[in-house]
Amino acid sequence: MSVAEYVYDQDKVSALLRTIIHNNSNEKANVWLLQRLQLQQQTRAIPQFNQTFTAIPRFTGKEIITVMPEEGRLLQELLPSFFVQGWTLDRLVRVWWLLQLPTTDKTIYIETLEQLFSIAEMNELAALYSALPLLAWPEALIARASEGIRSNIGIVQDAIMLHNPWPAKYLAEPAWNQLVMKAIFTDKPIHYITGLDERANAALAGILTDFAHERWAAGRTVNPMQWRLLMHFVNADNIQDITRIWHSIDNVEKEAAALVCAQSDYLPAQQLLAQSPALAAEIQAGSLSWDTIAKKITK
Amino acid sequence: MCGIHDLTEKDLQPLTYTPAYLDKIKGMRFFDPHVHMTARTTDDYQAMADAGVVAIIEPAFWLGQPRTSVDTFRDYFSSLVGWERFRASQFGIKHYCTIGLNSKEANNEKLAEAVMEILPLFIYKEGVVGIGEIGFDDQTPLEEKYYRAQLELAREAGLPVQIHTPHRDKKKGTQRSMDIALEHGLEPHMIIVDHNNEETVKEVLDRGFWAAFTIYPFTKMGNERMVAVVKQYGSERIMVNSAADWGISDPLAVPKTAALMHESGIDLNDIHSVTYTNAVKAFAQSGQINEADFNIVGNIDQSEKFNGSTVLRGGQQPRIDKSTTIIR
Repeated sequence: MSVAEYVYDQDKVSALLRTIIHNNSNEKANVWLLQRLQLQQQTRAIPQFNQTFTAIPRFTGKEIITVMPEEGRLLQELLPSFFVQGWTLDRLVRVWWLLQLPTTDKTIYIETLEQLFSIAEMNELAALYSALPLLAWPEALIARASEGIRSNIGIVQDAIMLHNPWPAKYLAEPAWNQLVMKAIFTDKPIHYITGLDERANAALAGILTDFAHERWAAGRTVNPMQWRLLMHFVNADNIQDITRIWHSIDNVEKEAAALVCAQSDYLPAQQLLAQSPALAAEIQAGSLSWDTIAKKITK
Repeated sequence: MCGIHDLTEKDLQPLTYTPAYLDKIKGMRFFDPHVHMTARTTDDYQAMADAGVVAIIEPAFWLGQPRTSVDTFRDYFSSLVGWERFRASQFGIKHYCTIGLNSKEANNEKLAEAVMEILPLFIYKEGVVGIGEIGFDDQTPLEEKYYRAQLELAREAGLPVQIHTPHRDKKKGTQRSMDIALEHGLEPHMIIVDHNNEETVKEVLDRGFWAAFTIYPFTKMGNERMVAVVKQYGSERIMVNSAADWGISDPLAVPKTAALMHESGIDLNDIHSVTYTNAVKAFAQSGQINEADFNIVGNIDQSEKFNGSTVLRGGQQPRIDKSTTIIR
C-alpha cells in the first residue's frame, strides 16, 4: 500500500495506536477488532467498513484510555501536537479504524469519509473530527472541517477546536478566525487551541476588540484570555482597550493587560507595563503567565 | 409600578413557584419512552429535568407535513442521534431514539423505498433502542408493505419494535399489527404496542406484548383514565408516555400521571414500574440502555476528553429567571 497521500508516517502511527488500543482493551474486544480487521483486509468492502465504525463502542466500551509515557512520547515524535490523552477507548479505536480505509482511490476515500460524516451520531462526529490530523489528503477536507466549526454540539466543537493540530495547519485565515471566535463564544479553554499564538493575526485582533466593545456596551464581561491574541498586535487603535483592562478592578484583567504589554514592541504598551514593576517581575519570573490566568478563570 | 422604597423583603425573594404535584413525586425518577423533543423548547427540557425525568426515547415520526425527499429523512435521523441528543444532555437528560419510516409517509412509495435504503445506516447507531414508530395509520396496502419490511429489519438487528396504533379503526388496527408481527417471527416481548386505550389493552396484555399508553389531551388517554387502567390491570408490562410533539400535548405527562396515581392510592412500586422500570426493561433489550448513564449524562460530555478536569465545556445550561420581566 502506498503511503504517499499521508503527510506523516502512517504505518508507524497506525501500529502505535494499535498497541495502545491493545493494552487498553479486554480480550473480547481485541478478538473482535482482529476479526473485523482481517475481514476488511480481505474484502475491502465499504459497507463493512462503515458498519464496524458504527459498532465499535458496543465491543470496546467507553473507558478513558491510559497512555504509557513512552507511547505518548513516541506519538509526539511521529505526529507533533496530536493528542489522545483523556480519550475514551471507542474514540481511539474509531480513529485508528479510519486508518484502515483503503487509499487506493482518492475519490472513493473522500466520498466514504463524507458519507460517514453525513450520517454520524454525536460521538462518531467527535471521533471523525479528532481524526483529521491522521487522514489522507488533508486539503480535501478543508470544507468539511469548516463545517465542523459551525457545529452546535459541544463535544464536536471540542474535537476540532481543542488539542487538534489540524486546523492551525490547514485552515485559511477567515476559517481560523471563525474557529477562535466560536471557541470564545462557547466558553472553551482557548489555551488548549493548538497554534493559538502562531496563527494570531491583525484581522482577528480587530474582531476581538470590536467584540469586547460589544460586550462592554451590553454590561457583560470579557474573557481575559482573549487579550492573549493581541500580544503582537497592540497599536494606536486598541491601546485604549488594553489601558482599560489595565485599570480594571478585576485583578485577572490587569494581569492579562500586563502579559499583553510584556510581549508587545509598541512603546505605549511597554510604558504601561513599566508602571507596575511588580507585575513585570512576576512575568519575568514566570509566576504570571497565560496558563496561570487560565487556571484562575476556570478554577 | 413602584419606587424602590416600596419594595419589601418579600418582593426581593425569587418567585419560586413549585407546582403542588411535584411535591408528591419528589425524588422519583421517570423515563418517558415516547416524546418528540425535536418539536419542544428548552423550557420543556428544564421542566422535565426538574420533575424527575432522567431519560427519554424520541421515536422517529413525521413532522406535521409530509417530506418530499430522502435527504430530509437522513437529516432528521441524523439530528435524532446528534444535535437533539446533545441538547438533551445539556439538561441532564439521557436521550435515546427509535428509527423507522412512519406509517403516514409510507404511503409515498417512491420515497418510502429510498428511506428503507438508508434505515440500515442508522439502526445500529449508539443509543438507537428500537425500530419505531411504525405500524398503521390509514391501514393501506403500502403501510402494510413497509410495516412488514421494517419488522424484518428489526428481527435481523435484534431490536425492539415500537408500534404506533391507528387513531381510526383502532381496535382492528391494533389486532392486525400484532398478528403481522407474530407472522414475521417476532416475539411479543420485543414489541411495544403504543397508544393503547381501554378497548385495546386487554388483548395486548393477554397476548404477551408490552402495552404503552400515551397521556395526551383530547385525542388519546387522560391520566384519570390511566389511573383506572392500572387499578384494573396492575403494572405488569404497562408503561406510560407523553408522546408530546408539535400539537397540544404535555411533556410532563409522565410525572403528572405518577403524581395522580400516588394521590389515588396506587402502590409506589406499581407507579415506578409504569413510569420507569417497564420502559427501561422493554427497550434495554436493544443492548443500548445502561441505567448508570442516567446519573452522569450531564457530565459525560465534560469528562470525555479531559479526564475529569473541571473546565467548563459545553455543559449544563445556565438558568434564567422566568418570573421577571427583565432579560439579561
